[in-house]
Amino acid sequence: MKNNIHKSMKNLATLTLDSLFLILVFSCSRTASVQVAGSTTVLPVVSKAAEQFRVKHADVNIIVNAGGSGVGINQLAERKIDLGMASRDITQIELTNYPEVDFVTHTIGRDAVVPVVSSEVFDSGVQALTLAQIGKIYLGEIRNWQEAGGPEREILVVDKEQSRGTRHVFMQVVLGDKVAAAPGADLVLGSNNEEQTAIAQSDAAIGMLSNAWINKDVRGLSIIMPDGSLVQPELANIANGSFPITRALLLISNGPPRGDVRTFIDFVLSEEGQTIVEEAGYVRLK
Amino acid sequence: MSRELTNRVFSTATWFAAGLCGLVLFFMFAIITWNGIRAINFEFLFAASRNFGAAGGIFYQIIGSLLLILFAALICLPLALGTAIFKSEYLHNARVQKLCAILVYGLNGVPSVIFGIFGLIFFVNVLQTGVSWFVGSIILAIMMLPTVVLAAYHAINSVPEIYRESASALGLNRWQVIVKVLLPQATSGAISGLFLGLARAIGETAPIMFIATAFSGIDIPGSFLDPVTSLPTHILALAQQAVDARALENAWGASLVLISLVTVFSTLGLWGRMKLKTSSLR
Amino acid sequence: MSASSRIGKGYVVGSTFLSAAMILVIILFLLMNSWDAIRQTGLQLFTSEWNPAQDKFGILPMICGSVAITAIAIAIALPLGIATAIFTSEVLPAGLRLYVKSLLELLAGIPSIIYGLIGVVFLSVWVEQAFDLQSGRTVFTGGLLLAVMVLPTIVTLSDDALHHVPQKYREAAKSLGFYNYEVIRNAVLPIAKPDIIGAALLGLGRVLGETMAVMLVVGSIDRIPEPFYNVFVPGQTLTSKLGREIAETAFGSLHFSAMIFMGLILLVFVLLVTTISLTYFYNPEDRLYE
Repeated sequence: MKNNIHKSMKNLATLTLDSLFLILVFSCSRTASVQVAGSTTVLPVVSKAAEQFRVKHADVNIIVNAGGSGVGINQLAERKIDLGMASRDITQIELTNYPEVDFVTHTIGRDAVVPVVSSEVFDSGVQALTLAQIGKIYLGEIRNWQEAGGPEREILVVDKEQSRGTRHVFMQVVLGDKVAAAPGADLVLGSNNEEQTAIAQSDAAIGMLSNAWINKDVRGLSIIMPDGSLVQPELANIANGSFPITRALLLISNGPPRGDVRTFIDFVLSEEGQTIVEEAGYVRLK
Repeated sequence: MSRELTNRVFSTATWFAAGLCGLVLFFMFAIITWNGIRAINFEFLFAASRNFGAAGGIFYQIIGSLLLILFAALICLPLALGTAIFKSEYLHNARVQKLCAILVYGLNGVPSVIFGIFGLIFFVNVLQTGVSWFVGSIILAIMMLPTVVLAAYHAINSVPEIYRESASALGLNRWQVIVKVLLPQATSGAISGLFLGLARAIGETAPIMFIATAFSGIDIPGSFLDPVTSLPTHILALAQQAVDARALENAWGASLVLISLVTVFSTLGLWGRMKLKTSSLR
Repeated sequence: MSASSRIGKGYVVGSTFLSAAMILVIILFLLMNSWDAIRQTGLQLFTSEWNPAQDKFGILPMICGSVAITAIAIAIALPLGIATAIFTSEVLPAGLRLYVKSLLELLAGIPSIIYGLIGVVFLSVWVEQAFDLQSGRTVFTGGLLLAVMVLPTIVTLSDDALHHVPQKYREAAKSLGFYNYEVIRNAVLPIAKPDIIGAALLGLGRVLGETMAVMLVVGSIDRIPEPFYNVFVPGQTLTSKLGREIAETAFGSLHFSAMIFMGLILLVFVLLVTTISLTYFYNPEDRLYE
């Protein structure tokens, strides 16, 4: 019975596919396509690069999708896409999930994950925190900005979905475990955009964002290092590695890249591509 | 409380509820129209989107949405017609009829996200189609199936028995009766139902967001296995960056365009339904 | 039987089979894919901790969130909707009723993603200010948004129910000297009751299964509020969890399976509600499609 349904569905699918194909012949100027998906941190670079790439290679579509690093890695491994975007390393679990996949990573730039706060909090004096303080906020041990030198206001702790690259990198440094639970969290959101929106809408929020998403409503905190020095979230500090939470931005291919995939990666690594990386607010490769 | 007072309280309450209801719904419409109209201009409708949708227009999102539902309609219509004809002309056992009705109309209750998940499992993973607009069309077709079946079924049922009898008397066999007499009626009914189904399908996000759409980089898909961009998923992406004024403006613009398309389809559907109602009364 | 007859019959039987089997196929696939989670996690699925990194898949927070949001939405939309329906059916002149009804149908067609947009931009901000909350992304916001969303449906269906009550009952009651209110309460509502319950159930099913609008405003945290009736805190529903997390789970992994299990639970809930409504209260073939 199940087999039958399966078969008849499959037959129907192929039948309709075939017959409808004829109707769609008009639009079939057969362009090749490279499908990319994953991290919303890498997305601006790849999106922009895809637009410019298209100018030179009119016959190749670069189809870009968001979803987060976890989505990028999974879909690449399941061969749904040709190139994954990730803003974190591939985890051991992901490697064991897909033993047959040969993940090849290509670093295209560097970024920092910056603890950010609503501008109201920043303006009232909280402009730098220690990593331990941030950790305590996410663990729920510090619940009011007063305990961190700010106004008398409860902290709105914004967390991210667990497989997001930004969260992995942030939690690794702050709590020592990239998949650490955050019992202090109040909201769990996804993309950089969504997180930025929630923090801007609030007047008491803390969150984690890629350096490129910091603006006048969402302010980046400096980190107070154990020796008492302050490190600001600035490109120079990311480039020389003194900012404590930095990461590589990755494109991941399944095996060594070939054909259009290779051409596209080369484009992102070229002078033109690296300019896009820089314009997007990240640190280019040397 | 005196009876008269109760009556007055009651009538005030219904007026109040209706007023509140009207106000809320009017507010919805006003917000979308007001914000949307300011975003819409020639360039917005006919340019590709740029910079995460915060710049440029929504041309390919419109095309993508239309493509999705066009093929959904092409897949759904024959299936729905066949089902409706079988139900009304061949199926006479009341119990089987009830069962069949529950199974088909039950689809109407299936949450849209479940269709998306089913598509993800069955097409994207089991059949290995990858993220493809055509899979999206198939899923949307399944989703609107009950609406279209129901419309076609009503249309067939409204054909007077005497037509069938006279056609048989003319020597037409059963299938010829169906093709010559019932099918035209069924098709016109199904098409009005189809418009109502399309009005819903074009606005759906959850069924297609995992299986059929991409964020950018695709204009007109080159094959059946490519993804498309669509209006609802575009609005989803823009809604997440709602503090960016440009993105928000475009989100309202896209919303107004989407609602206009929905309105066109539902008006066609409602109009067809009205016509059907009057013709069946005659 | 002629050849065309045979092909024709094959076609109609085939399409009916396919249409009717579809829902079974969907259930079957959800069941097959959630089997791993059911077997390996078992009753642990009904605990309150969700942490895929530690293979903890408790879906209780999502179930609670779905129930809470549905309860809020229906508690707001039902009384408001029925009262409005009484207005449109019993008070409004018949000429206007048709226009109002058409308008309601159009409103019922506003896509849920647009409600989500309105929720993010306006409603969540208002809720935050009105109740002086930390964040406006709460269970209550989701419920309120869905109440607005399902309102046109409930009004139209209840209005139909009331309108179908034959005029003679109203006249009989009026001739007994009843006030309008008493006519409606004693003569009209009792007769329309089954249909109104059907409308409520249908609305309930729709609210339970709604994804996009909820996902954007609910806050998406997998935690049962404390105390559990506190709805002014962020939460998670089955649908918002699925919408956010399904794409990032590996097909075939336990995580994926647990996600599908949530889908299955959701589907069972919704189908239960719909079947009750279809069997006892509401026959779509009596009306022209919804």
